[in-house]
Amino acid sequence: MERWEGEQIAEWGVRNAEFAMQGRVRTLRIPHSALRILAALWRLNLAEELQYRANFVASVLGTLFWIGTALLTLALFFRHTTRLGGWDYWEVVVLLGVFNALTGVIEAVLRPGIGRLAGEVRSGGLDLVLAKPVDAQGFVSFRRLDVWRLTDFVLGLGLAGYALSRLGRVPGLLQLAAFVVALAAAGIVVYAIWVALMSLAFWFVSVENLSVLFDAVYEGARYPVTAYPGALRFVFVYLLPIAWTTTIPASALTGRLGPEIALAAAAVAALAFVLARLFWRAALRRYTGASG
Amino acid sequence: MPPAITAEQLSKTFRVKVRGPGLRGAIEALLRPRYRDVHAVREVTFRIDPGEIVAFLGPNGAGKTTTLKMLAGLLYPTSGRVEVAGFVPWSGGPEFKRRIALVLGNRQQLVWDLPPEETFQLNRAIYEIAPAAYRERLAELVTLLELGDVLDKPVRQLSLGERMKCELAAALLHHPPILFLDEPTLGLDVTAQEAIRRFLAEYRDRHGATVLLTSHYMQDVTALATRVLIINRGRLLYDGALDALVARIARTKRLELVLGGGDGVTAETLAAFGAVKSFRFPNAVLEVPRQEAAATSARLLAALPIADLSIEDPPIEEVIRQAFTHGVEEDDS
Amino acid sequence: MSRLAEWARRYGALIRNAWLVDLQYRASIVLWIIWGVTEPTIALGIWWAIAGDGQVGGYARADFARYFFALMLVNQLTIAWDSWYLDRWIREGDLNYRLARPLHPAHEAVADNIAYKARSAGVILVVWLVAALVWPAVRLPLAPGRWALTALAVVLAAAMRFFISFATGLLAFWTTRATAIMGLHGGVALFLSGRIAPLALLPPAVAGVAAVLWFPYMLAFPVNLLTGSVHGTAALLHGFAGQIVWLALWVGAYRLAWTRGLRRYGAVGG
Repeated sequence: MERWEGEQIAEWGVRNAEFAMQGRVRTLRIPHSALRILAALWRLNLAEELQYRANFVASVLGTLFWIGTALLTLALFFRHTTRLGGWDYWEVVVLLGVFNALTGVIEAVLRPGIGRLAGEVRSGGLDLVLAKPVDAQGFVSFRRLDVWRLTDFVLGLGLAGYALSRLGRVPGLLQLAAFVVALAAAGIVVYAIWVALMSLAFWFVSVENLSVLFDAVYEGARYPVTAYPGALRFVFVYLLPIAWTTTIPASALTGRLGPEIALAAAAVAALAFVLARLFWRAALRRYTGASG
Repeated sequence: MPPAITAEQLSKTFRVKVRGPGLRGAIEALLRPRYRDVHAVREVTFRIDPGEIVAFLGPNGAGKTTTLKMLAGLLYPTSGRVEVAGFVPWSGGPEFKRRIALVLGNRQQLVWDLPPEETFQLNRAIYEIAPAAYRERLAELVTLLELGDVLDKPVRQLSLGERMKCELAAALLHHPPILFLDEPTLGLDVTAQEAIRRFLAEYRDRHGATVLLTSHYMQDVTALATRVLIINRGRLLYDGALDALVARIARTKRLELVLGGGDGVTAETLAAFGAVKSFRFPNAVLEVPRQEAAATSARLLAALPIADLSIEDPPIEEVIRQAFTHGVEEDDS
Repeated sequence: MSRLAEWARRYGALIRNAWLVDLQYRASIVLWIIWGVTEPTIALGIWWAIAGDGQVGGYARADFARYFFALMLVNQLTIAWDSWYLDRWIREGDLNYRLARPLHPAHEAVADNIAYKARSAGVILVVWLVAALVWPAVRLPLAPGRWALTALAVVLAAAMRFFISFATGLLAFWTTRATAIMGLHGGVALFLSGRIAPLALLPPAVAGVAAVLWFPYMLAFPVNLLTGSVHGTAALLHGFAGQIVWLALWVGAYRLAWTRGLRRYGAVGG
């Protein structure tokens, strides 16, 4: 069942990515200077964050607390069952590790960066960014790196590794590579969703908490997509396929899905990225008054 | 030499939702939204030559900032043509943006918790400034703006004036030939205002930069601008030298007297010569029609014991206020 | 009587004001409601799958459905965001002008809560009614007496959660991490107040800890009242007694934090 869904998604993704990339490859080019700007930005951030070392302790404690509650929740479910959507306890813990790793990326980069777009559209702070000779989407998206929040990323991967050892499964090199690609693809998909969601701020200026919508739906990614029954399954699997962002990498790591899933994940990620880029451009055209 | 900035028939119209007051208005707007066109800028035409410092004047909501944003490429005009430094701003891309600087008096780009030099380094990467050029320009800006003591302090510890100086330095590191300054002296004390004005004049003289600035402080305008653009309700009312504007609008001159001798002169005596603006012995200010200023002065000197007399234009604030309320055209004489 | 009328007028104005502000941010509020609905929906989905065609700890699928629908409604009726507001008021100095008014700032907070709850609970009720039309599992039997008792329990729970949130928000007088502390409280409440599962499904030791704390009275007790899982007069009285005792204790905590905090605020400045 899972294999069938994975393959179907793969085929769909490749087809759409090919279509979307026709004549649009240039949108994916990263100029060399962009990397220098990024390095300068993150150096700046690091200098800023180092002033608040207490944040590091708070961040680690917070991460441990929330991983703890998530594990307790799982323990509660598994008091009354032996499998969740066909996954056993430690498999779900691997997925939880992936979920936390992605949470780390969201909290360290996305929320402090593009997550503040709505407020800046409202206050006019975006104008200063638009007046700079840089790609506005890239600048707004990656201007911040809250390094302390990367503790979620590290501890998440650690948790996944521990769970994997409890499962007694040692992934091969190919499997590990597939996991890395799938995780990166998941990160790109999550990024694309944030860009699309935050771009709505150009239309709905008064909505400052658009990220809440993401948080709400992302809750669904804590468990394997197969765990959901009926209508919920439809919502999380097809309507808002955010849940896949944890299920696919976790499946690649535990060997539930073959390494070829990485190709499908990469294709979907490319498609999501291109679509988000187009949406951002349309939104910016609206902001500058070019479309009406 | 081609002009640095050209605007022809530049217009910008926004569509805004209108809403009645109170709960009822809010619900109506929710169910049946109504829109209204706001003509922020209407058919504005002007050109600015390289090296000019031009002040953009107008009451709040007159269309100054909208025009500035169109010139900087942040907004698309609804109609009309703009050219800045040889580029059409909104399609000029990075090449164009490297040629301009935008400073907004109420927004800051400096990173709050770090010394300003860190933000300068960031801009060095953004504007791709070569290390040697960066060092040289930073040294120049530090000297001109007297930033020596503040470079290594976190921005949050700087005074408002120091912060604005650093904003200017951050915006000028890439040596833009064109500067757009929106209220650069907003909220600063008199000394800091003066320092910024001195710097801008000096910077223009050294590098031949073109400056377009908006300000509410008339001193900024009189000290810096060779030319003013007056805009109200989206229309350009006046484009020209400040002196010419005063001559055109101000129908009166002020005679400032210092009376000598006894105290026989009263307000009533003075009223025979012109409108008494203030009288507090021995000082008096009279307002008389412009054409009669010379003749009235002669009569005053003949009739009253006068220790000193000077003929002045009315304060510039008053002239500008008059331009906003009555327009510029009405006095052709 | 005229004093009462005066307070009614004040509260009328405050609530109206809160609604006007909300109308400006109506999209934001829809988003918060969606957020409040997804967590119980996901928990319901997982329990639904676990229960299958059998029972888990005495709960069948339909029981889970009723429990989590009731939870959604009661949660929206009792939730309090005040710690976040207070933290911002104190940090950004908005508390100053509120203190300068001849009205305790808590009244504004209470009015905000009434406005928010009336609106979001209205939305959830409509959702529930529509769901009940097509899904018999979530229908509640007509029992006016039980509904009246539930209403009382909900008011007490809302009051308690308000004072918990307000008192915790006041910690911003001393620390910059008041909202983080409230977050931790929420994490514990996830289990002990019955948000992730009915308390009957918790390990007995955990349920025992919950029973001596305030958490069950925040949510689980009114939810169980509404779904009809509180049996017998003794359990009923025990529930209400627990609510009243813990409410009194939290009011005390709030008063302590308020007077101490203001004294500190006055000494240190905003």
